[in-house]
Amino acid sequence: MMPLLYACLVIVSVVLTLLSAHVLYMMLYTWGRQGDGGAAAEPARFRDPRLSFTVMLPARHEEDVIQTTIDRVVHASYPRELLQVLVICSADDVGTIGKAREKIAALRKEGVTNVETVVFDDGPINKPHGLNSALPQADRDVVTIFDAEDDIHPEIFSLVNTVMLDERVKVVQAGVQLMNYRSTWYSALNVLEYFFWFRSRLYYHARYGAVPLGGNTVFFDRDLLMRLGGWDDRNLTEDADIGLRLSSMGERIRVIYDDRYVTKEETPPTTAQFIRQRTRWTQGFMQTLQKGTWKRMPTRAQRWLSFCILAFPQAQVLLGVYLVFSIATTLAVKAPVLVAMVSYLPVLLLLAHFLTAAVGLYEFTESHGLQASPRLVAQMAIFWFPYQIVLAYAGLRAVWRQLLSRHDWEKTQHVGAHRIPVTEADANVR
Amino acid sequence: MSGDRRLPPSFVTFGMRVAAPTVRPPPGRGKERGAGGRLRGLGRRPGLAALVFALVSGLITHADHLFKYPLYLTDEGIYMERVWSLIRETKLTPYTYDYDHAPGGWITIAGWVLPLPRQFETFGTSINTGRALMLVVHVACVFLLFEVTRRLSGSVLAASIAAFLFNFSPLAVYFQRQVLLDNLMVFWVLLSMFILLHRESHIWKALGAGLAFGMALITKENAIFFAPAFLYLLHRGIRGSTTRRFVRTLWPFAMAAPLGAYIMFSVLKSELLPSRLSFSLSHPPTGHVSLLYTLWWQLNRNQGTLLTRGSYLYSSWLPKDSYLLLCGVAAMGTCLYLGMRDRERNHGFLVAGLLAFGYAFYLLRGSVVLDFYVIPMVPLFAMNIGMVADRILRGSHRFVRVGLPVLVGLALLLAPATGYLFTYNDQGRRQVADQYHLNLTVMQREQVAWIRHHIPPGARLITDEDIWTELHDVRPYYPYAHSHWNASSDPTIRDKLFARNWQNIDYVVMSNKMRQAIVGNNGDGRESWILNAIDNHSTVVWQTGQGDIRLQIYQIQK
Repeated sequence: MMPLLYACLVIVSVVLTLLSAHVLYMMLYTWGRQGDGGAAAEPARFRDPRLSFTVMLPARHEEDVIQTTIDRVVHASYPRELLQVLVICSADDVGTIGKAREKIAALRKEGVTNVETVVFDDGPINKPHGLNSALPQADRDVVTIFDAEDDIHPEIFSLVNTVMLDERVKVVQAGVQLMNYRSTWYSALNVLEYFFWFRSRLYYHARYGAVPLGGNTVFFDRDLLMRLGGWDDRNLTEDADIGLRLSSMGERIRVIYDDRYVTKEETPPTTAQFIRQRTRWTQGFMQTLQKGTWKRMPTRAQRWLSFCILAFPQAQVLLGVYLVFSIATTLAVKAPVLVAMVSYLPVLLLLAHFLTAAVGLYEFTESHGLQASPRLVAQMAIFWFPYQIVLAYAGLRAVWRQLLSRHDWEKTQHVGAHRIPVTEADANVR
Repeated sequence: MSGDRRLPPSFVTFGMRVAAPTVRPPPGRGKERGAGGRLRGLGRRPGLAALVFALVSGLITHADHLFKYPLYLTDEGIYMERVWSLIRETKLTPYTYDYDHAPGGWITIAGWVLPLPRQFETFGTSINTGRALMLVVHVACVFLLFEVTRRLSGSVLAASIAAFLFNFSPLAVYFQRQVLLDNLMVFWVLLSMFILLHRESHIWKALGAGLAFGMALITKENAIFFAPAFLYLLHRGIRGSTTRRFVRTLWPFAMAAPLGAYIMFSVLKSELLPSRLSFSLSHPPTGHVSLLYTLWWQLNRNQGTLLTRGSYLYSSWLPKDSYLLLCGVAAMGTCLYLGMRDRERNHGFLVAGLLAFGYAFYLLRGSVVLDFYVIPMVPLFAMNIGMVADRILRGSHRFVRVGLPVLVGLALLLAPATGYLFTYNDQGRRQVADQYHLNLTVMQREQVAWIRHHIPPGARLITDEDIWTELHDVRPYYPYAHSHWNASSDPTIRDKLFARNWQNIDYVVMSNKMRQAIVGNNGDGRESWILNAIDNHSTVVWQTGQGDIRLQIYQIQK
């Protein structure tokens, strides 16, 4: 029995080590390329505005933030006549509809008439269904999505206009960044996940043609989107799904992350909200994996990469369980030295992840004019392990929900923590 | 060396290129430089030719007589014995592992032996099989040394001189053929340096360089003395780079990873700390071995300085190649002087000087120094000499610049006084140097053959480590053959098999100078019962010799 246990331990350790090494590679991919962010190069100067944009703002129970978001979009540095803004709500969300219409009325008084609401009253009530409902009304060259709590950069449309025209790409994923890195115990770690995801990993995915797109600040050529039939409204991560569908069609996707032009967001306000968000993502990835889009990728490398992306949350579950198990093994079972040493390889890689994240904290804060400190790094170190366990728990929860066929949308609450100065947000939490 | 062409020095670049030092064009080379890309392309050929020459000459000087000279050394036997244990027993050593060395070296050798068709016997004997790996390692080191020197100096001439000395010095040939951890450590150090100096260095290269340096450390801990040079090189390379934070964090991490595994091994075996946390040198802790205690003990060992009469410097190293050592010291001083005087322009000199100085400091600081500890100095002195020679000849005419090093090289090769290719024999006649002429190991093979023909496998033998693996891996096995070191110190062998009683010994198989080693190890009387067996109760049943080398087999008369 024990030899079998040891053999399993060694195999799992080796698999997790390889996976973790791959993740580390992706985390550092952009920096690892010669020329310091050569992969992340953005246009040196913007072209004159030519493309027109339909901005979709799906919102549900976003009374607190929707007006500010509408305001930021319409006041972007881009000709107003080239922008169409659609605020998408379900009919039962009267609060958000009311706030949106209130704002639209105020804007009309200022002479701004390119904003309207799209209200849908059929199910399922979720983001992809809302987007699909509004798609027929989108009549501009490019369709883009922003979430209700997003702080968009005024130049984002000029940036994408330039990239799409210069590089003749039909899909662009621009950077999204969580900002409130000091709000909760997990904020810094969550912020850094986003940082590495958009700053580096997505470039890797784009390079190898398997891109799980983000849920906002993503720009599609409208005709392409119509041909594609919009989003899968049964999928909890419709963004990743549509990215992989585009990749399987061989569509080139341009990723662009520039610290200056990122869309700013906030981390979920509570641990429970964070777990719900992660559960939804993991479950969505599981759905996409089962759907089999990844199997239609043209090359084996793309299929393998897509599989890895979609299966990673499960690996994360395994890693969390493994961490607990490996500690228990060390304390309770006297495993052979060689087995014990192999079983620590994933832990070594986790340490490398942490160190990379700690450096990432300094990179992130420096690029956004914020402050990192050794104390914050120490705090990250303390919460690193609990964070992995929470991720693993969310993964397990996703598996459980999937087994129960519960596919309802657990919405993440937004409080606008990224919209107040960081010190203030921090103080509020304390 | 002909057709030397100055290539731009490649200074470490982690995401940015650091300006190369300005190089004053030598007279008469203006046209060559002005010709642009076309001539630059052609200019690669002399570098390539010099590299190929270096590789081929390294292969020849080290392969010729590889299995015949020098005599199989006790330490070679120890490492092959440990490789045997790793492969056959999945243990780090057949006896108690007391952390005398980190195991990276013999794990590497095991990685070589394991896939070979006949494993330990692929090249005849186990030590031959290890020496075949040393040949491969040497050729790899030639490439690395050539490239590192070229990148530090920007000169093919400097690289060629370094490779020439590294290939032909009798000191180099003698020690680099032997299965020694130091040779493997040099490989990892050069590899790490090579990666750090790569033209397109970035995070992955920093990780690779750190890992290679970590491997050097767990191959032979002395590599730590190269750390200052590496840290300086790293510090310079990441100045102003946007990846500096990642490099600064991940290089030490990668370097520490192999070390961490070593420490974890001791933790898992509950052997990190000594019993009762006792670090007393006068009363060593009993109970179990300890990594930290062994390190502490090694740090406190003292054996006089290298400069005292009778040290290996005078008795072994200088007689083998005084030219390399004396010129190397002078070149090291020059490199340090040039580097300190102008760090920007002479960055490469400073790095080369620091590398050599770091290890020279280790040798001179007054701890135990064994004969083969000189190994890392050979490539470093060669590098320093090459760079200084290039600097001296830089302004000279092309004919002098190429011709003078060639003449000096020929003189070293042809003059018998140098021992590079020729030497004087006892009658004062010129003959091919020992390293390409003598067959010494044949005596050890004859010794083993005699044992197989005349001694039953169940006999209890006291031997030296040089033939240990032969007796344990080739049929008929001699499971009760143990070295005098282990017979006098390993509790299981000493107390159970021999019970410290000469009457329990059947034969003593003496290697060259084994008696000196026994006497030297008998300060506390631990080997007295073996000496008693040899001196008072034995008959010589076999012996042979060449020059001052003597091998014997004693049968113990009970």
